[in-house]
Amino acid sequence: MSAAAASLAPTGGQKDRVAWLAVPAVGYLAIVYALPLVFLLARSVTGPEGFTLSLFVQFFSDPYSWRVIWNTLRIGLLTTLVCLVIGFPVAIAMARAKGLMQVALLVAIILPLSIGVVVKAFAWQIVLRRDGVVSQFLVGTGIWSEPQRLLFTETGLVLGAANVFLPFMILPIYSVVKLIDPRLSEAGATLGASPLYRFRRIFLPLTLPGLVSGIAFVFSMSVSMFVIPSLLIGDRFQMLATLTGRSFLLMRNEALGSTTAVVLLVLAVSIVVASSWLAKRLGGTQ
Amino acid sequence: MTETASPAFLDVRKAAKAFGATTVLDGVDLAVARGEFVSLLGPSGCGKTTLLRIVAGLLSSDSGAVVLDGVDISAKPPHHRDVGVVFQSYALFPHLTVAENVAFGLEARGAPKDEIRATVTRFLDLIHMSALADRSVRALSGGQQQRVAVARALAVKPKLMLLDEPFSALDRKLRETMQIELKRLLREVGTTAIFVTHDQDEALMMSDRIAVMNRGRIEQLADPATIYKRPATPFALEFVGLSTRLTGTVVEASGEGEVLIDTTHGRIRAPGRFVAGSPVLAAVRPELMAFGETAGENTIRATLSDVVFQGSRIQAHFEAPEDRPIQIESVAGIPGGAVPGAEMALSWRVADTLLYPAPAP
Ligand SMILES: Nc1ncnc2c1ncn2[C@@H]1O[C@H](COP(=O)(O)OP(=O)(O)OP(=O)(O)O)[C@@H](O)[C@H]1O
Ligand SMILES: [Mg+2]
Repeated sequence: MSAAAASLAPTGGQKDRVAWLAVPAVGYLAIVYALPLVFLLARSVTGPEGFTLSLFVQFFSDPYSWRVIWNTLRIGLLTTLVCLVIGFPVAIAMARAKGLMQVALLVAIILPLSIGVVVKAFAWQIVLRRDGVVSQFLVGTGIWSEPQRLLFTETGLVLGAANVFLPFMILPIYSVVKLIDPRLSEAGATLGASPLYRFRRIFLPLTLPGLVSGIAFVFSMSVSMFVIPSLLIGDRFQMLATLTGRSFLLMRNEALGSTTAVVLLVLAVSIVVASSWLAKRLGGTQ
Repeated sequence: MTETASPAFLDVRKAAKAFGATTVLDGVDLAVARGEFVSLLGPSGCGKTTLLRIVAGLLSSDSGAVVLDGVDISAKPPHHRDVGVVFQSYALFPHLTVAENVAFGLEARGAPKDEIRATVTRFLDLIHMSALADRSVRALSGGQQQRVAVARALAVKPKLMLLDEPFSALDRKLRETMQIELKRLLREVGTTAIFVTHDQDEALMMSDRIAVMNRGRIEQLADPATIYKRPATPFALEFVGLSTRLTGTVVEASGEGEVLIDTTHGRIRAPGRFVAGSPVLAAVRPELMAFGETAGENTIRATLSDVVFQGSRIQAHFEAPEDRPIQIESVAGIPGGAVPGAEMALSWRVADTLLYPAPAP
C-alpha cells in the first residue's frame, strides 16, 4: 500500500507544499508540548553551579529508583501481554466478521474510548473490591474459598489498565488483518500446508506490523499511566509516572520530578522509535 | 483420450451446491482421465469457480462426491487432497520472494532442503524466471506473477491442477504466449488439469475436452471438434462459435430420421426425430453455408443487411431477429457485388443442419 501511495503521490515541489498543512499542528505541539519538555529537560541537568548530571547519578544510585523502574517495566509488560492475549483473537474475529456483526464489534471496541479514564478506574475500584463482582464470582464458583480484595493489588492494576488500553491493541491488528487476502491461506492449504503452518508462515508474518504497533501503543501508554495506578493501587506502589506526579504535586521536589520524567521520556521514546523502525522493516516486506 | 474406456482419474459425482435459495451447482457429473486437459467453459456466474472450489476442498458441497485416483476425497481438508490451484487473482504470498513462493509447498510438506533447492531451480528455469528468483513478488508484472503462481502450484507435483481463469488479466499477446507455455509446462510435468475460462477460443485451442457449463449444469462434455460441430444443446450452440439459427415447426417426419420443417424463411429439411407439430430450432455454422441455390439441399431467402470484411474471408449478415441471426462466412466474397437490401438465396447441406427442440422463450 505504501509503495502504491508513494508512486501516486504528487512529486517535487507540490509534495513540499503539501507539507505546510502540518504547520498548525507542529506549532501547537511546539508550544504546549515541546517547550515545557525543554524546560523539564533543562531543569533535570541544572544544579546550583550550572550544568550537571548529578541528579541522574543520585537517582540511579538509589535502590528505590530501580524498584520503581522495575515496577514500571513489569506492569507495562504484563498489561501489554494481557492486551495481546485477549486482543489478538478479538482483532482476527472482527476482521473476519461480516456486515452488521463487524460494525457492532467495532462500535463495542471504540465506544468505551469515549468514557474518561477516571470514570473507568472508579468503576474498576467497585468491581475489584472485596465485595465486588469478581470476588463474588470467584467465591461463588468455588475457585476462592473466601472473598478477597483485588483492589490495591498488582493483579487489579493490570486488569484495569488492560481494560482501558485494549482498544489500542485491537485496532492496529484489526486494520492489518482486514487487508490480508483470505485467498492466501487457501493457496497455502492447496499447497499442502496445515492450518498451523499457514498461521506461522503466512498469517503471522503479514500481521506482524499490526502486532508491533499494538504492542508499542499499549506498552508506551501503560509505562506512563498515572490516573489508573493512582486509583487502583495507591501510594505504596510507585511507577515512574506516579513518582513524577508525586514529586511535583506533593513533595514539591522539582529536581526528582524532572529526573524521573526524563527517564520515563527516554524509555517511552525508545519504545516508539524501536517499534516504528521494526514496523517499517516488517512492513517493507508486506 | 477416449471418453469412456479408462476409468476416470477424477470423478465428480452429482456435486450439488446452493447458497441460500439459489442453486449454484445442480448435480454436476464430471469425469476426467489421467493426463487430460479439460476446460470448463461457461458464462459468468454459471458455477465454474464453485465447482473448482469443491474439487479443491475449499468449499463443501451439499451433496455428491469427489473421487481422485480411486480415493473418495470428499471429506478431506484441502491440505490433504493433493490438488493444486492457480487462483484468478494469483494469491502469491506478498511477504515472500519468487523463489520462496515456489518453495512454499515443498517446505510445508517437509521435503529435504537439497530437493527443495533443486526443484525450485528447475521450475524457475521452466518459467524463465531464474534471474528474478530473489525479487519480491510484489515487484512483478501480471504475466510474471501468473507464471510464478503456476510454478508454485506445479512444484509440489499435485495429482490434479485446477486453473481458474489464470489468463483473464493478461493482454491478448501475453495471453497467447502463456497458453502455449502452460500447455508445455503441464506436458513436461505430466499433470492432469481442469482449466476454467469463458473465452471459447482459449478453450477450443488448449483442451483435450471441453465441458460447456450453464446454470450449474454441464450441458456437454466432448472434444473441441465435437463441441463445435455437434453442439448438444441450443446453449452450447450459441455459446461456442457463430451460427445461423431458424425457429420453425416440424410438418412431416420421414422414415429415414429426417424431418421437414416450416421456418420463417422457408421450408428446410434436417436430420432428427421429431413428431409433426413439434416446435424446433434449426441451425448451421456460417462457414458451411453458400450463396445461391443448391438442388436437393436446404435453401432459404433473406435480405442482406451488412457485410464485414475479415481479411481472409467475409461475413455477411441478413435481416433477422437478434436471437435468431442469419449469417454466412465466405472465402469467395459476395457474388455479383450485392449491396445491403438485396434479397439473396443461401443454401447448405441437409446433413450439416443441427436440430434441437425449441428452447423455452
Ligand atoms: N459465497 C457465496 N455466497 C452466495 N452466493 C455465491 C457465493 N459464491 C458464489 N455465489 C454465487 O454462485 C454463482 C456461481 O458463482 P461462481 O463463482 O461459481 O461463478 P463462475 O462461473 O466462476 O463465474 P465467473 O466466470 O464470473 O467467475 C454466482 O451467481 C454467485 O453469485
Ligand atoms: Mg469464477
